[in-house]
Amino acid sequence: MRDILGHSLNFQYELLLPEIIIAITATLVVGADAFRNELRLGRRILPWLSVIGLVAALVVSLLWIDTQRNFARLITIDNYTTFFRVLFTATAIVVIVGSHEYVERHIGHIGEFYALILLSTVGAIYMAAARDLLTAYVAIEVLSFSLYVAVSLARNDPRSGEAALKYTLLGGVASAMLLYGLSLLYGVAGSTQYTEISGALAAGTGGMTLPLILGLVLIVAGLGFKASAVPFHMYTPDAYEGAPLPITAYISATSKAAVLALFLRWFSGPLLPALPDWQWMVALIAVLTMGLGNLVALQQRNIKRLLAYSSIGQVGYMLMAITTVSVVSASALLLHIGGYLVTNLAVFMAVIAFYNRTGTEEISGFRGLAQTNPYLALVITAGMFSLGGMPLLAGFLTKFILFTAAADGGFLWLATFAVIMSTVSLYYYLQVIKQMYLYQPDGDARRWRLSPTGYLTTAVLLAGTVVLGVYATPLYTLADRATRVLFV
Amino acid sequence: MIPMENFLLLSAVLFAIGFYGVLARRSAILILISVELMLAGVAINFVTFATYLDSQAFSGAIFALFVITVAAAEVGLALGIVLRIFRERQTANVDEVDTLKW
Repeated sequence: MRDILGHSLNFQYELLLPEIIIAITATLVVGADAFRNELRLGRRILPWLSVIGLVAALVVSLLWIDTQRNFARLITIDNYTTFFRVLFTATAIVVIVGSHEYVERHIGHIGEFYALILLSTVGAIYMAAARDLLTAYVAIEVLSFSLYVAVSLARNDPRSGEAALKYTLLGGVASAMLLYGLSLLYGVAGSTQYTEISGALAAGTGGMTLPLILGLVLIVAGLGFKASAVPFHMYTPDAYEGAPLPITAYISATSKAAVLALFLRWFSGPLLPALPDWQWMVALIAVLTMGLGNLVALQQRNIKRLLAYSSIGQVGYMLMAITTVSVVSASALLLHIGGYLVTNLAVFMAVIAFYNRTGTEEISGFRGLAQTNPYLALVITAGMFSLGGMPLLAGFLTKFILFTAAADGGFLWLATFAVIMSTVSLYYYLQVIKQMYLYQPDGDARRWRLSPTGYLTTAVLLAGTVVLGVYATPLYTLADRATRVLFV
Repeated sequence: MIPMENFLLLSAVLFAIGFYGVLARRSAILILISVELMLAGVAINFVTFATYLDSQAFSGAIFALFVITVAAAEVGLALGIVLRIFRERQTANVDEVDTLKW
């Protein structure tokens, strides 16, 4: 089949099989939830079903390693797509396995919870895989809409609805800004295809610099909002605090990584010829994000808000890799995203297990955890140290490679600032660790154990954090293979 | 033929009015309407560029169709959330929805 301009289009639906599987699983989950009583299904069937679907999708997505194909000129299936397919499905599996007890106790609509996680995974994958602005936009909205609703799912918690309202309204404004930027870009380049935009921008814009710059400002602002970069981060702490904990974990992992994947796909591909026009913007928001995220985190009392500001700081480091866009910094970025996901999920899964037992989100509630549950204290300590960038843990190595890439790319001042901010961040991570190890527990000092799935997820993620810290070569090789296809 | 600038000006004005509304209005419903105005500006922009600069492939017009559809979905979703807020607090004023701070 050919399109109106004579390009041949292939509709090979098997290329989209992983996402088709996930979407069908999502429908099945909602259906199974609706007819649970009639079909006499146990409550555990929903997480099981979701995990089976995700594992199937993960396995199927490995079929296209080292291929370079596209679906109807809308979606690319290459190593970059495969990397993020594996990353996002694995993240969804971890979140679902680690949180099913929390979900049974604190979520009003269980079927919708799992279905929304599955659907947002589809959106996240297509954000990394799109090769047309239209596909990218629809993918962004699939991810965002699922998350707006997911944030509001906490039962009996008025903060949840408020967080969802703020997230939805500000998200809508950000989408409108992004779209206006995309329409200007379309006007300048005359096409919505990535390849043709990059060709048109490379050939010169014929005096259309003002619309181009205005478009780029709006695009950076819109994407910056979705990635919660400063100054578009205002909603982030509220959304994180109001959302149910597993959704907070999921937003801080998948949503961040997906926006960064899209950022990299755009700024290393269609927008690369306009590098001088946008480099300063991205550098500016990277500096602001690193600085403000880490400084405001210093005064937080709630663990969700602390992790929200910490994740804002992490986005600052990641944006630094976009500023110095090259094969080296791109693979450093993918490596850092991988390490950040593992570490951050380790902390969140531990916090979920902690919340299941104690029901508190205050940092002071962590007092004496080293006595009541030494294993959980160890997981949180390792995760916090890794986020802060201590040697022998994932965070150190990935940050080291990321900062080196930025310095080599000619942004030494940015890398220096990142190192300083990374040191500042250790202070607030240590505050949590101090509570756990230096104080006596308030009240009940008996030892307690985690559930089997709690042990499973935290142990796997803890192992990942340590292994990546000493031996990251395999992941780096994968990241390198994934990013080579971007720069051809 | 009407010059392209007229349409671009119209869309820019719509977008700016919508953005002002988002900043100035305190009712969640009115903020939603303002977002819709911004999206209307975007749709006009896409159709204009498609008509004047991309009359063969016309991909901007298709983009505009998607923008309209997604905007409708967004309103439905946001209204559901506003309804929940209203049931909990008997207000849709965003200044009074302020449990979460700093």
